[in-house]
This record gives sequence, C-alpha cells and structure tokens, in this order.
Amino acid sequence: MTDVSDLLDVKGRSVWSIRPELPVGEALKIMAEKKIGALVVISEGKIAGIFSERDFARKSIVINDFSMDAPVSDLMSSPVYYVLPRQSVEDCMTLMTEKRFRHLPVLDEDVLIGIISIGDVVNNLMKEKNAAINDLESYILKNKE
Amino acid sequence: MVTVKELLQIKGSQVWTISPEESLRSALERMSEKNVGALVVVDGDAVVGIFSERDYATGVVEEKNFTLEMPVSRFMSSPVYAVAQNDSVDECIALMTQKRFRHLPVMEGGHLIGLISIGDLVKQDLSEMEKKIRDLEDYIWIHMI
Repeated sequence: MTDVSDLLDVKGRSVWSIRPELPVGEALKIMAEKKIGALVVISEGKIAGIFSERDFARKSIVINDFSMDAPVSDLMSSPVYYVLPRQSVEDCMTLMTEKRFRHLPVLDEDVLIGIISIGDVVNNLMKEKNAAINDLESYILKNKE
Repeated sequence: MVTVKELLQIKGSQVWTISPEESLRSALERMSEKNVGALVVVDGDAVVGIFSERDYATGVVEEKNFTLEMPVSRFMSSPVYAVAQNDSVDECIALMTQKRFRHLPVMEGGHLIGLISIGDLVKQDLSEMEKKIRDLEDYIWIHMI
C-alpha cells in the first residue's frame, strides 16, 4: 500500500512557506502566483500554522476592521494537523474527509518535508483502485479458459 | 454509469445562492453559516456566476482599495459552466479537472436545481470502484476457488 513518502516521491517535496507576520495581502499574492490553495506558516524553524483560502474566507469576516495588512497569524489555522511519512494514503483520506482539510503538511521528526493535498490523495486512490480492478479482471479472464 | 440526477438524490439538491449586488461580507457570512465553499450567484431566475473561496482569495489580490462591502459581482466567476441531470459523473469530473472548477451548477429547463462539488463526484467514483472490486472478488470466490 502506498504511503505518504511515496506520494511525495511523485509530487515533489517543495513547500511554499511564509512567516507569521507577513501581511495577508502578500500571502494571497504568493498563493495566486504559485496557483496553490494554502501556505505553511513557519516561525523559528517550526511549523506554526497553515493558511488556506478557506481560512481567509472564514476569518476575514470575523476580525474587526479587517485589512489586507493584517498579519497571517491572525487568520491561520493552528495547531496544525499533520501526517508522518510512513502513514498510509487511506489514513490521509480519512483525516481530510473527517476534518474537511484540503492540505496536510508532512513532518519527519518535527521537520517539514512536504505537503499533500486532497487532489494528490484522490489521484493516488483512484489509480490504485483502477489497478486492482484490472488485476482482478485479468485473473478472471485467464482462469476462465 | 452514474448520472448527475442520481448523485443529487444521494447528496440532496440544496443550493445556496446570492444576488450579484450583495456584499462580499454577506456572501462570506452565508458560506460560513452553511459551511460551504461556494455560492451560486443568481439574478432573479438567471444564474449569472459562481462565487467561491478561490474567487475571493484570488480576486482581492487585484484590488487596490479592498473592502468587504464590495459587491459579489466584482469577484464572481462568470460565465458559468453548468451541467444537466442526465450528464454522467465521469463527464463532470473530466470538465472539472480540465477547467479546474470545484463546483458545477445543475440546470434543468433554465432552472437551477442543484450544485455538485468535485468532492461529491470523487466520493461517488471511489465508492463505485470499491463496489466493483468487491463484486469481482465475490465472483472469484464463488466461481473459481
């Protein structure tokens, strides 16, 4: 069964991260430029939160006198749910579905080594299930003769 | 092959809407209250756009004097791709993947009758694949072992 580390081998390990004091407007600019839906927030070498399109949509309306100069730390989600490299893709799917996350950072001994999105997880599960169907069908065909 | 109609029967045909002249704040408050990621923008009976978390996050980057009192029409995606009840789930997935949409309104006879998300479609697809795997395994147990 595929694990998180295998997923990262396919999609790469680069992660876009920002500092908590970065203005929201700047964070959104980075997300638009890189065409990504979330950024990991790092403070003093440690993961401090995650900032997603959903965080922006939900929290910009509850902050008094919200402006684009507000620091990301005012809107990010924290603490962060994360996964380990040896966890299964099925595990990630369960966590993402239950908690309604679209992104999960991957931590290896407290160090951020990647981020996986619901799209990565779904693509992998579909591929695996397709392969299982093909295997079963060809087994049946071969043994029918 | 599963159709949009069957999918709506499973997930329900509740759609949350907003008028184009309403404010961003109203739209975002409705999305938060209903816990959804997008609203269909309707002008009377006509569907004129879709407003999603992504439209908000990418739209504000372009705004010099952003306020939450700006109208939704300024940020919505338009024109809108819509599907019909008899379209297949596979066709919808292909359309969403190609165009990078997360939501598709369902129209019948010029009326909005539902909204489907990429999450709904994927869930449906995965559960069908799982069922197919079980059926093939049963077949092998009964006929071949």
